Amino acid sequence: MSLNFQNRNGASANRVLLIVLLAVSLVMATVYSREGESGPLHTLQGAVNSIAAPLKFVGASASSGVGDAQDALNDASADDATLTQLREQNAELRELVAQTEEYRQEVERLEGLLNLKESSGAEGIGGRIIGRNTDAWNQTVTIDVGTSSGVTTGLTVMGPNGVIGQVVSSQANSSTVRLLSDSRSGAAALIQSSRAEGVVRGSLDGLLYLENIDSDVQVSVGDVVLTSGLGGSYTRGLLIGTVVKVEGAQNDASRRIVVSPNDAATSLEEVLVVTSASESSSDSSSSPSSSSSQSKSSSSTGGAK
Amino acid sequence: MNEPITVVPRVIGAIIAVLLQIALAPNIALFGVVPNFIMAYVLIVSIVCPDQSGPVFAFVLGLLFDLLGTGPVGAMAFLLTGASFLAKRIFMLVNNDTLFMPLLLAAISTLVIELLYAAFMMAFGAGVSALDAFVFRALPGTVYNFLAALILYPIVVRFLAQPIQQQPGTPHLR
Repeated sequence: MSLNFQNRNGASANRVLLIVLLAVSLVMATVYSREGESGPLHTLQGAVNSIAAPLKFVGASASSGVGDAQDALNDASADDATLTQLREQNAELRELVAQTEEYRQEVERLEGLLNLKESSGAEGIGGRIIGRNTDAWNQTVTIDVGTSSGVTTGLTVMGPNGVIGQVVSSQANSSTVRLLSDSRSGAAALIQSSRAEGVVRGSLDGLLYLENIDSDVQVSVGDVVLTSGLGGSYTRGLLIGTVVKVEGAQNDASRRIVVSPNDAATSLEEVLVVTSASESSSDSSSSPSSSSSQSKSSSSTGGAK
Repeated sequence: MNEPITVVPRVIGAIIAVLLQIALAPNIALFGVVPNFIMAYVLIVSIVCPDQSGPVFAFVLGLLFDLLGTGPVGAMAFLLTGASFLAKRIFMLVNNDTLFMPLLLAAISTLVIELLYAAFMMAFGAGVSALDAFVFRALPGTVYNFLAALILYPIVVRFLAQPIQQQPGTPHLR
């Protein structure tokens, strides 16, 4: 009898606790949606992300090293006494070659960033991607530069070939960048040839859509899309991508324009956080063709960071 | 008398789930869908050890998931707290000592959480249609998270489940 009474008390206490925790969760979600980027919950989230950033980096490094580890395991399992020394030397040489190849690719990427700075007139801070989103609903990356390097919320972030997103939170030594492909992203954009203005939005299917373009504007596959700078959220005149598909005809109000981003964040390792850009040079020099030709012509330049 | 089960293995399991979420999950994303090890762990623990998993455990892990991402803080905490409680209660009612029932319950719970999280995200300005949210996130997310739960299930049973007091010779199918 007394045991039953205790169980009942425990169960009702558990239920009260459950209701309290559910209420606390809902209150937090409501506060989060209403507070600004500098609110306490956003700040706490940024701080936790900052603490977790090194772990994300470890995970990303481990993931890229899986292939190397498999090779090493294969080599180790094929043990032969007479060839041990040669194999060791071979392994060392392979490691050196791999390391050199790493450096070569890094130099190439940094040259790309430097070339971008020159071609678009963008000034900025170079950073390395050290982590990616931990949930399915947000397309973000974490970079290793923060407020201590001058990175602040709202700055545009570029890869070697174009805009990839915007800084949404910044801590001392790391920042979170929301990618253009995120469904909550929206960049004021314009079509280079017609100067028609609209908004480039991300989506869950990973594509970028150019919306709010007047229905009478002619849009063709291959048209270059740039940031327009309207609203001040993205730096003006930076390359976003090119139109790859137009669903619906001109004067069709439900026309859908698909834009292929010039840079995919999934393959990037280094980025440039744009602090300023010269408007005069950017519009004319940001097209993919000019960008790529300049990239070839200036391969002897140094790193961007 | 049942042997008291310490909270330590559950906490160690929770830490491992969080570490997997931070370090592994982003690197094994498929088509933009990142597996949710924290959700899988909370659900499996609630089903396998219904007597030991209180609401605080689910709440804390849900909150950690929210804080590690960039979505609304409190959303996953709310869903995991509620789902863990319901899964636990339902399992105590429908448990028939087969493997089918806990896995079915885990699959249904995962789907419900994914659908409600999609609703949360839409309410908090994700800017997507309900169809897109279902097709591109909730449905593949359910499949991926259920696979994670399938992997975690035998591990949780092995290390966390309380040994069942039964008569000698009674078959135990779990």
